[in-house]
Amino acid sequence: MSDYKKWISASKQSLWRTIGLFFLLMGPGIITSNVDNDAGGITTYSLAGAEFGLKLVWSLIPIMIALIVIQEMCARMGVVTGKGLSDLIREKFGAKVTFYLMIGMFLTNMGNAISNFAGVAAGMEIFGVEKFVSVPLSALLVWWMVVKGTYKTVEKAFLIACVFYLSYIITGILVKPDWAHVFEQLLHPQLSFQSSEITMLIGLVGTTIAPWMQFYLQASIVEKGIKIEEYKYARFDVITGSVVVHIVAFFIILVCAETLFKHGIRIETAKDAALSLKPLAGKYCTYLFAFGLVNASLFAASILPLSTTYLICEGLGWEVGIDKKFVEAPQFYGIYSLMIFLGAGVILYPEIPLIPIMYFSQVINGMVLPFVLIFMLLLINDKKLMMNYTNGPLFNFIAWATALLMIGFTLIFLFLMI
Amino acid sequence: MEQLKEFYFFSEFLNRKVYHSAGETLGKIFDLVAERAEPYPLIIGMILRRNRKREAYLPWEKIQQIEPRLLCSEEGLEDPKTLHSQKEIIFLREEVLDKQIVDTYGAKVVRVNDLHFLRVDSRLRLVHVDVGFRGLMRRVGWERMMDKILQWLFSYVLPNQFISWKYVQLLSGSDLLQLSVSQKKLSHLHPADLADIIEDLSSRERSAIFRALDTEMAAETLEEIDPKIQKALIETIPVEKASDIMEEMSPSDAADLLADLPEERAEKILEGMEEKIAEDLRELLIHPEETAGGLMTTAYLHLPPETPVEAAMARLRAEAPHLDIVDYIYIVDEEEVLQGVVSIRDLLTAKSHQSLSEIKGPRVVSVKLDEDQKEVVEAFAKYGFRALPVVDEENHLKGVISFRSVLEVLAPDAG
Repeated sequence: MSDYKKWISASKQSLWRTIGLFFLLMGPGIITSNVDNDAGGITTYSLAGAEFGLKLVWSLIPIMIALIVIQEMCARMGVVTGKGLSDLIREKFGAKVTFYLMIGMFLTNMGNAISNFAGVAAGMEIFGVEKFVSVPLSALLVWWMVVKGTYKTVEKAFLIACVFYLSYIITGILVKPDWAHVFEQLLHPQLSFQSSEITMLIGLVGTTIAPWMQFYLQASIVEKGIKIEEYKYARFDVITGSVVVHIVAFFIILVCAETLFKHGIRIETAKDAALSLKPLAGKYCTYLFAFGLVNASLFAASILPLSTTYLICEGLGWEVGIDKKFVEAPQFYGIYSLMIFLGAGVILYPEIPLIPIMYFSQVINGMVLPFVLIFMLLLINDKKLMMNYTNGPLFNFIAWATALLMIGFTLIFLFLMI
Repeated sequence: MEQLKEFYFFSEFLNRKVYHSAGETLGKIFDLVAERAEPYPLIIGMILRRNRKREAYLPWEKIQQIEPRLLCSEEGLEDPKTLHSQKEIIFLREEVLDKQIVDTYGAKVVRVNDLHFLRVDSRLRLVHVDVGFRGLMRRVGWERMMDKILQWLFSYVLPNQFISWKYVQLLSGSDLLQLSVSQKKLSHLHPADLADIIEDLSSRERSAIFRALDTEMAAETLEEIDPKIQKALIETIPVEKASDIMEEMSPSDAADLLADLPEERAEKILEGMEEKIAEDLRELLIHPEETAGGLMTTAYLHLPPETPVEAAMARLRAEAPHLDIVDYIYIVDEEEVLQGVVSIRDLLTAKSHQSLSEIKGPRVVSVKLDEDQKEVVEAFAKYGFRALPVVDEENHLKGVISFRSVLEVLAPDAG
């Protein structure tokens, strides 16, 4: 590895140097974006496609732009300050605000953890594995990875596993859509202001731009120790990640729109989607779809609880680190265990109402996000902290617009729920 | 100011309203200002926030009353800008509260939840920082509720977790610029502990702390730091200082670090060093890291066979401060061919007129330069030595591997 690095820094040809540096520094953006396509994400995209066909597919483009802007801000803050987002929030806004924000983060991510174990259960059931086997096994696997400290290796393995998201793209091509129609839909925004459509739109934004992502991305950038001179490569990584995640989302919507929507089949979960594909598109499509779901859920289930625990403990000033003993970092291990075992345990409870749980976690997601965005905007425009790397007017406009839209959306969502 | 309580927490002052003697509010307390004094800083005034934009400084002497209501007159307020010209002050909220600090007594990085002031001669002094859960709950405003719940459920009272200001090293602001202050506080720490602390910090804080260390402490600490961070730290300091620090490091650690640096910079650092040390390091740099040659150091003592024990002891005593290997003396002839090994035990039990060749052990175990590090570890386990000499094909002594380097191969992540 070090030889490779040396070769890159010695290489005189700028093209090879650029490509080499990118591969050295890539990772945080791509991993974050792909964890984002977790069970909740795949469910939401499937539902969007099955219920509305290609009608809402245009929304992916503005969502992608917002995601790029927000993620880029995080990456920049990580590189310039060398600190995590919860660190910065605590230092600028004080203990009280941080404490309540951390409670919110815990609740949303608990919901996310539950929905990811639900995703594992649903995906494995298609392969004929009972949830009483798959869920405890995957919980133990995730727990073991952290306790044994092989988390970094796992992250790399999952980075390779991101390739399996191709399964959705292949499925999308297998169902042979009418491409001319698809692109027309993509480029022509339409919205009929029905409550069901608005709700779905909020779901799409909420699942793509999640609060925990910003914390996780910034932490990974800091962890990687990327220097300000190398920042442009990290930025490229973040943009690539955001684009990839939306391509995958696009294909999931496409598959469900071309098959389920066309035949008028109603579904409620991603598992329904996978199963209903069988008569319409063949059993390989079902398996590919289910495999993607399991992979995504496991990926998120192993990264999300750990990153949540890190950000909470950092914000509240508790000892962190998987190299610490239990007595040295009781809060760290306590919160982590609670997230994994409660998350998996809830799924094992017979007849658990999964849909309301996922809904609830999405609501809190949406409620916490505007706060996180506003904190981020205040931080990144702080001259003392960011020196010459504060936001330009365009970035500020897009980020503020996203924050305000999210607040508006959340209010509408709450209004609709009542 | 008779009304002052025995002690205060910062959270009692934060956002508290300050009233005009006539009754209307003047503003809210935003920050407290302390004068740097040993060992406990004295509170000299407060920053009031009058509205969103306007701030004012209220010197302690101008406060008319603290309990039950904070009173002062409009004329008492000053422009806060006058403060910035003074050097010896700390803004407690800006520099201490909610920030990470180094607890030099417990040797770890902790976050400050609250500050604890004590009344001394009708003034307040900062004596403790509060890093416990109780302090956090006090800030959130749940302290009394938590007390009631814990009392009712477990009959338990959550204690405060205080750290005396004497042991607090700030990571931002004025404290780090005061080299003498931080030197004194950081010298409480063992270099290995300081290394762990530095690894826990952000890159800015890391280099700030690292710059505050003297050359010797910096070298000892650097030896213990993770290679990736070592490299980043050395790249942030001027070349001349890097040369000075790496001269003080153990040659095997210094060589490993140089090998990780870009060639140009490594060369510049070598040029700035004492010639003899640079030469040794260049020699060490030739060998790949995962061979015996990459593990060895050149800071050992080698003497001709006819040296008397007395003279050997004197040399060892004189050179010990700069040696990595003090457990053994290696015997070489004029061609530097390894002849034997004398342990410090042999030296202590020998008569002073004997020569080294008389007291050396009957055989000598060594490893070859290009031997794989796994074989080296096995040799250590098999023979139980604290150091092993490294020779080339013609049995010339090239260096010595210490047990410490082997530990780094065996357990790279430990410590």
